[in-house]
Amino acid sequence: MARTKLYTGIYVALFVIATMQVGIEQIGLLEESYVLALALITAFSVIKAVIVAGYFQHLVWEPRSLTYVMMLGFVGFLALTVAASYSIQ
Amino acid sequence: MTDETQPRTDGGTATALPGDSHDDGSHLPPRWSIKRWLITTNHKDVGILYIVTAMFFLVFGGMLALLIRAQMWAPRAPGEGILSAMAYNQAVSLHGLIMVFWFLSPIATGFGNYIVPLQIGAEDLAFPRLNALSYWLYLASGLMVFASFFQGSTFAGGWTLYAPLNIPAFMPSIGATTTVFAIVTFCASVTVGGVNFITTIHRMRAPGLTMRSLPLFTWSWLLTVWMMLLAFAALLAACMILLSDRLLGTTYFAMTTDGGSVLWTHLFWFFGHPEVYIVFFPALGAMAEIFQTFSGNRIVGRKWFIVSMVLVALQSFIVWMHHMFLTSINLEVKTLFMATTIGISLPFDLMVFALIYTLIKGRIRWDTPMLYAFGALVLFIVGGITGVFLGAVVLDYEFRGTYWVVAHFHYVMVSGATALIGALFYWFPKITGKTYNEFLGKVSFAVFFTGFNLLYFPMFLAWGTPRRVFAYRPEYLVWHRIASVGAVILGISFLLIIYNLTKSLISGDDAAANPWPYSTTAEWAVSSPPPLENFPGTPSYASGALEFLGSDDDGSGAAAATDGGHATEHEEVHVDHASVWPFVTGVFSFVTVIGLSGLQVGSYPAGLEGLFYQATSVVGVVGLISAISAMGYENFTAHEGGFGETWPFGGVENTKMGMWVFLASDVVLFGAFIGASIFLRVAYGWTNWHPVPHNPIPGLVNTYLLLSSSFSVILALVAAKKHSRKGIVASLVITFVLGLGFLVNKGIEWLELFHEGVWLDSGVRASTYFLTTGLHMGHVIAGLLITAYLIWRAWNGAYSEGSGETLEYFGLYWHFVDIVWLFLFPLFYIV
Amino acid sequence: MIPDAIAASVLQSGLIPRGTRVQVFSEIYWVFLGLGTLVGAVVIGYMLKNAYKYSDRGGADEKERPKLGEMPTGGGKGKKLFLSLSLSAIIVISLIAWTYGTLLFVEGQTGDQGVDVEVEGYQFGWNFHYLNDDGEYSGVNTTGTLRVPVDTQVNLQITSDDVFHNFGIPALSVKGDAIPGETTETWFKATEAKNYTAHCYELCGQGHSYMEAGVIVMEEEAYNDWYAEQRASAENDSAGNIAAAGV
Repeated sequence: MARTKLYTGIYVALFVIATMQVGIEQIGLLEESYVLALALITAFSVIKAVIVAGYFQHLVWEPRSLTYVMMLGFVGFLALTVAASYSIQ
Repeated sequence: MTDETQPRTDGGTATALPGDSHDDGSHLPPRWSIKRWLITTNHKDVGILYIVTAMFFLVFGGMLALLIRAQMWAPRAPGEGILSAMAYNQAVSLHGLIMVFWFLSPIATGFGNYIVPLQIGAEDLAFPRLNALSYWLYLASGLMVFASFFQGSTFAGGWTLYAPLNIPAFMPSIGATTTVFAIVTFCASVTVGGVNFITTIHRMRAPGLTMRSLPLFTWSWLLTVWMMLLAFAALLAACMILLSDRLLGTTYFAMTTDGGSVLWTHLFWFFGHPEVYIVFFPALGAMAEIFQTFSGNRIVGRKWFIVSMVLVALQSFIVWMHHMFLTSINLEVKTLFMATTIGISLPFDLMVFALIYTLIKGRIRWDTPMLYAFGALVLFIVGGITGVFLGAVVLDYEFRGTYWVVAHFHYVMVSGATALIGALFYWFPKITGKTYNEFLGKVSFAVFFTGFNLLYFPMFLAWGTPRRVFAYRPEYLVWHRIASVGAVILGISFLLIIYNLTKSLISGDDAAANPWPYSTTAEWAVSSPPPLENFPGTPSYASGALEFLGSDDDGSGAAAATDGGHATEHEEVHVDHASVWPFVTGVFSFVTVIGLSGLQVGSYPAGLEGLFYQATSVVGVVGLISAISAMGYENFTAHEGGFGETWPFGGVENTKMGMWVFLASDVVLFGAFIGASIFLRVAYGWTNWHPVPHNPIPGLVNTYLLLSSSFSVILALVAAKKHSRKGIVASLVITFVLGLGFLVNKGIEWLELFHEGVWLDSGVRASTYFLTTGLHMGHVIAGLLITAYLIWRAWNGAYSEGSGETLEYFGLYWHFVDIVWLFLFPLFYIV
Repeated sequence: MIPDAIAASVLQSGLIPRGTRVQVFSEIYWVFLGLGTLVGAVVIGYMLKNAYKYSDRGGADEKERPKLGEMPTGGGKGKKLFLSLSLSAIIVISLIAWTYGTLLFVEGQTGDQGVDVEVEGYQFGWNFHYLNDDGEYSGVNTTGTLRVPVDTQVNLQITSDDVFHNFGIPALSVKGDAIPGETTETWFKATEAKNYTAHCYELCGQGHSYMEAGVIVMEEEAYNDWYAEQRASAENDSAGNIAAAGV
């Protein structure tokens, strides 16, 4: 099955990205430039999450509405976290 | 529209109660049998259970209100009056909690249950057993509240449960823990119900019944359950964290935690403001239905009414900080939330005007439902205008914590209750098949409306009184006296309502299928009460109006069609209507909570009492897991969706959609936990905060393990497509082993930290680390239990012969757990 | 976020209520109450009028009425609907925008001038720590009674020693949350030398109903005498005993 190959490729990519996240910490980027390192690590997490949701949970092949449902929850999380954290700045 | 296309409106002449004639196939005992009510999964039965139980809690909450008003009869010196200070605080807190959680939402849920499937042309909900489960969890949570009064003292910190008064250091009673548990259980009930209704309303509408043409009550209920799904997840997170502070000794809300108290206000109000609309929307929908029916007009600006409701539902999640204007939040945020607050008032203006203009050129009939609905709108207008005062921040600074707020939200919330009582009269003939006493109904409204205004209006005049006190300035005496008299009158009106409906139920005249001229919605096109499977044929709007396809349409046969003359296709599929497991699950969740409530900051009480709590915990947990497993194993056939309109979820089976909707709520649950960690870290000083584990490598290993276990679930699915039993079993076993490896690795890490003296209570960094990753671990454990079950089923060939859908749905959950870890890992191990 | 220039020009325009908190509150409150009552009376009156006018009295009916089973529809009167919406939006938005100017004024007042006092709530009473001009603890503190000079701005820094409280003096229209670990700032100015009472406005436990403090507004001179005396006695005590003084 062609999909099996795709899934395997994705699996390997996820492995690599996870390793890179720790790599960022190991090379000391967090001490050097905290914001850059934080942004990179966050971006990597988002990329991984999108890949897993898109392919392992096969959202890319489902009606787009399901993606929006999940986005709704995620936007709720962002609204709460960002606004609450900002409110005490 | 011609008469030929009209469904029969006089079909209510069937002799036996139609529900009773079906007990052969569905094992559903007749209505007079108590057993029926314990095992039924039919949406109409569950709706009745909800309504009756909610009325019961109305009386309970009302008694507490009367106690409050008795205490307020005069300004009291310490020890004076019928209540002690602590008893008063308990009455105030539980009055609020019970009215909001155990009366208002559930009575609306009752109507949602009974009416919505009828309105959309569904024969039942998508997941009938989960529906029954929602009810039993609701009842169990309500009984927990009862029990909490007998465990020292119930919660006494107000319905807003502000921190840090809510932690054991300030409120050590076991009953307070039970109350928080009750809220958690109620959240579970609401989440299960939300998933069910969202799936049902989106996927099980009759052909032709597009979203655009959904009846307004159904629209309001749909938006309510969407808001419930997301908002209650935040409350669930807040209360789980609170329980962790109370039971395990984490320090989120401890006095010494920077930002802990403010964190609670954020979490609570992020739920709390949508909750206002969750409570009010069903009332609004009912008002819209009643206004249309009794004025004989279609609603003005229907499209805009719906658009307004959608806007309010969305906006409700971005106004929460207007409850926090006097906390330490900054001016920029206050400005932003002031603006969003004005924004959310505007759609309401439009809806109010739409309702008012619907009266014009009508033929308004002042039956009891219309009196209540009209009265509700008047009260809501007063509530809305006085709310604008609170939107002006400068005024809010002075009104905060006073009776202005009390008066305002009672005008809003109890106007919602007013409309729901209208709904109760409106749908009473449909639900019971009996006619209520119209004269007594009108009298009850007169008493109700008088009592309401005597009770709440003087509160505006005495607005200088601080909330939740019983000592007030003597110049307010007269207003508080009037309010107390009003409370008694309002109470009498409820007795009249209950008497009227009970008496009518026993000895009222039989009701016609459609007692109300100009009603349009489908519930009036079937007999009163409707048959077990709801419709005399397959309902369809495909022709532009409601028809029952396959039913005898010659005019004389409608009665026969509802009387079990079921030669139509909807009988071909056997569906179930009974399961005992939701009830059993409810019982054991009660037992579990009572047991766990004894736990405080990591230990049970000493002696016999502790033994009781520990034994009860064990019995409860074992029973709970068994009951849920039994429910999973039970063969139960429900109606599938997709027979009619399914926008926007066409092609997604009910169970899959239910899983996705559940995951959306889980996103908010985890989101609130992660948000709480981030917020506390910001309050602590972001860069002063270092990860609790010393080394990210065990975390990285766990990431590898989870990613691999996700991949092996994919392989199981691939094997299922190839019908390879061995492949499925092997992949699932790998998943199980990898998941177990994750837990072991995590266990070692925790054990090491524990030996170093770092544990749940070692400050806020440790608390957030242990609790957030602990919640994730709980999800992993649940996943492994399911995996074990799947392995057993797969071994017996369950998925190699079928299509393996169950594996797919489990995969969705498991990958989600994986995704959460992808965020937790860097947050708690690296940055 | 709010450009200072705009804020300043709005504040100086004279439209925005300024003055003591009592003045700005009552000015805005009465405008809201007046307009609110008017709008409420018009809307409810209009409702009642139509309710009476279109009550069913039998007779001929030429209008086409809803039928059972019809597809839900409804429309018409769109113009009227949006006209009403616009009107109500204009009223609400302009009212709130107007009060926003006062909010900026009120929020801009804390700090430089006047007397600074740290208010600390506890179950079930209030401590008042007087701060010197540098914002540091002056050694003067009282429990249960707040003494302030008349016609002088009093800046409050409110916090809590245990649970969530809220400190408010209703007659002086001032209020602020008392949150453990946090400080909220507010201010007031009393124009009469007389006695007031402060209450707790957030449920805080058993003694909440009686969690009060006296507020004594003194003539400037009397206040200065009292404060000097307190300072002196505080300095006489050893530094470690400061907390016990002044009860």
